[in-house]
Amino acid sequence: MDNQGHAMDFAWDDAQLAFRESLTGFLAAHLPQDWEAFSQAGPASAALTEYARGFCGALAGEGLLFPHWPTEAGGKGLGPWEQQSLAEVMWAAGEPRGGQYMNVNWIGPTLLRYGSTAQQARYLPPITEGKALWCQGFSEPGSGSDLASLRTSAVREGDTYRVNGQKIWTSYAGLADTCFLLTRTSEDKKRGITILLVPMDTPGITVRQIPSLIGAGDIHEVFFDDVIVPAGQRLGEEGQAWEIVGFSLTNERLGIPRFHLARAALDRGVAMLQARDAFAREAVRIEAARCAGLCEAARNASYAIIQTRVEGGKVGSEASSARYATVMAERAVCEFVAEFLPEALAGASPYLMMHHQRGIVAGIAAGAAEIQLNIIASDVLGLPREPR
Amino acid sequence: MDLALTDDQREILAAIDALTRPYAAANLHGAGFALTSGALDAELAEGGFLDVMAMGLGEVTAALVVERLARLPYAVEAQAAALVRPALDAAMPCGVCLVEEGMLHRPVRYLTAGVTVIVVGDVVRSFAAGPEHIRDAGDEVLFAYPMAYLTGLPGAMQTHAIGADEVRRLWRVGLAAESAGLLAGALASTVAHVSERKQFSRPLATFQALRHRLAEAQVLTNGCYWLALKAAASGDAGDAALAALYAQDAARRAVYDLHQFLGAMGMTLEHPLHLWTYRLKALSSELGGRGENALAAADAIWG
Ligand SMILES: Cc1cc2nc3c(=O)[nH]c(=O)nc-3n(C[C@H](O)[C@H](O)[C@H](O)COP(=O)(O)OP(=O)(O)OC[C@H]3O[C@@H](n4cnc5c(N)ncnc54)[C@H](O)[C@@H]3O)c2cc1C
Repeated sequence: MDNQGHAMDFAWDDAQLAFRESLTGFLAAHLPQDWEAFSQAGPASAALTEYARGFCGALAGEGLLFPHWPTEAGGKGLGPWEQQSLAEVMWAAGEPRGGQYMNVNWIGPTLLRYGSTAQQARYLPPITEGKALWCQGFSEPGSGSDLASLRTSAVREGDTYRVNGQKIWTSYAGLADTCFLLTRTSEDKKRGITILLVPMDTPGITVRQIPSLIGAGDIHEVFFDDVIVPAGQRLGEEGQAWEIVGFSLTNERLGIPRFHLARAALDRGVAMLQARDAFAREAVRIEAARCAGLCEAARNASYAIIQTRVEGGKVGSEASSARYATVMAERAVCEFVAEFLPEALAGASPYLMMHHQRGIVAGIAAGAAEIQLNIIASDVLGLPREPR
Repeated sequence: MDLALTDDQREILAAIDALTRPYAAANLHGAGFALTSGALDAELAEGGFLDVMAMGLGEVTAALVVERLARLPYAVEAQAAALVRPALDAAMPCGVCLVEEGMLHRPVRYLTAGVTVIVVGDVVRSFAAGPEHIRDAGDEVLFAYPMAYLTGLPGAMQTHAIGADEVRRLWRVGLAAESAGLLAGALASTVAHVSERKQFSRPLATFQALRHRLAEAQVLTNGCYWLALKAAASGDAGDAALAALYAQDAARRAVYDLHQFLGAMGMTLEHPLHLWTYRLKALSSELGGRGENALAAADAIWG
């Protein structure tokens, strides 16, 4: 037994650090003075959506908008650690890319894989120039966790589809230019779902904003009344949606690196408490440490998943364990702030307010907490399944 | 960033699995609350598994060894031997136990005549335990470790150059690594039971109330594992305290549930679950328990 130099290492190496520094350096050079207050309006606000066009354009100019895309597609072919760093740094800064993070994370890669030449020519340039804003038309009033029960129908009529139905909780819909829409084209539960790429200015689409706890302009209802969509706007084949969405989500299994913002928020909260000499009480210190433990557990569980991706392995159900750990961390930090820094949720800290508004969503959006637990139970622990 | 195990580490873990296979199922016949095997201890010492740090294979490797051995139903002293002992004196023999100065009211894990007792206070000292230093706890010990009381500290002890904080750091890493293995063992044992046992014509494991709490136990076990390895890799005092805190918190949440799901079976000594859970209970008070570990973490992280 002898040591071979390489050893488990939880620190960023020099190249990774340099990459992270190029991102923080970019932020320092580009974010406006009043960014913190400004960004509190949320990534979906009109102001931030507008700001993000300039910001993402500049990011693209530096090769930092989609560095993890393959070189053939104009990316730098950087690996999963760099993709993670990009997500962490942007999210912890209050996501100055607005809703455009979706473009580079999964919409672009999905178009690259499944899009027709015409679709790629139409939709990729606005994404890579940092100008596009998509929305994700998946959830419906009757179909949340049980997404495959969705009912918005697309009926084939010659060269077009006639779409009728309703989507809900759709982020960015108010300002988006295109919708990545899931529709039902047959009764087969999963193989009856088809993706249509629908310009949001198509006649028959009505968007209504839903006031929410998480920031202005985030969630919407979207109504489709006899919306006519050319068949050329179908992504992949009829009934291929479930497979395509599965691909889209492979890079997104871990979701947003919420543990990183949660930890940053915790550190900010502690700094606020220290500034008014209120961090000496043991009750506060103990709770802060508990939060840090939960954040770091979520971080390292997530990094273990990324390691699997680095090694080319398939990321499966273990990602749900990291996701649930992240939910625990978010919840603890949100509760810490509410308990010890109530003023932060009433105007004293735009950053902590922004965190709290985003943090409470962790266990709901993109695969609710109990769904993660179901996956862990069946696929990680191997328990016999629940009767259906 | 590189979270892959080295080839050495994979080989060592595979060798441990091969060596411990005969011990994977507990022979509970005549066992009390704790299960030990002199033969297993001897095989592990002979194989050099507790010397990985002294061999230059690093703290992470030692933590991996501790974690893996804790999955066994048998209590094996690896925590102090693999992680703390090499930092004091590579020549010190394997039989070691750790005590905090001023805490002599506490039962001590693995205390028996002939072991080296490492006393951690403002400084680190040690002595060879003789029968006169030990008070047998008899059948009174509910924990699944062999335990005894120290009658006192001898006047003359060897003082070690290593700082007490460094020993506490290593102890915390060991505690977290051992907890991760114990949680994994306890969870696997419970998963096996609820997958087999039927009530209302269904395996218990098909009831979501149990599934979700078991899944949460998996999340905690996984978190504990990675925090222990992170702490071992970084050598950072804050990381070690966080790992110990998380481990004690995780044990507190998981142990109750796991026993609950075994019903009366988990109350018997015929089922091995207590061999893991009642070790976790013993670890829950070490180094001051959650509160003290949290305060140590807060001090290290935020000053
Ligand atoms: C901020 C935000 C933004 C969003 N953005 C979008 C978007 O852009 N596009 C989009 O399509 N959707 C979006 N969503 C919707 C999101 O995908 C859904 O909220 C999510 O899928 C959960 O569905 P639901 O809200 O209907 O909850 P439900 O499915 O009704 O779940 C409610 C509760 O029941 C639990 N539950 C459900 N099924 C089970 C089960 N089998 N076992 C145990 N428990 C169960 C859930 O875990 C949850 O705790 C967004 C949501 C939020 C909060």
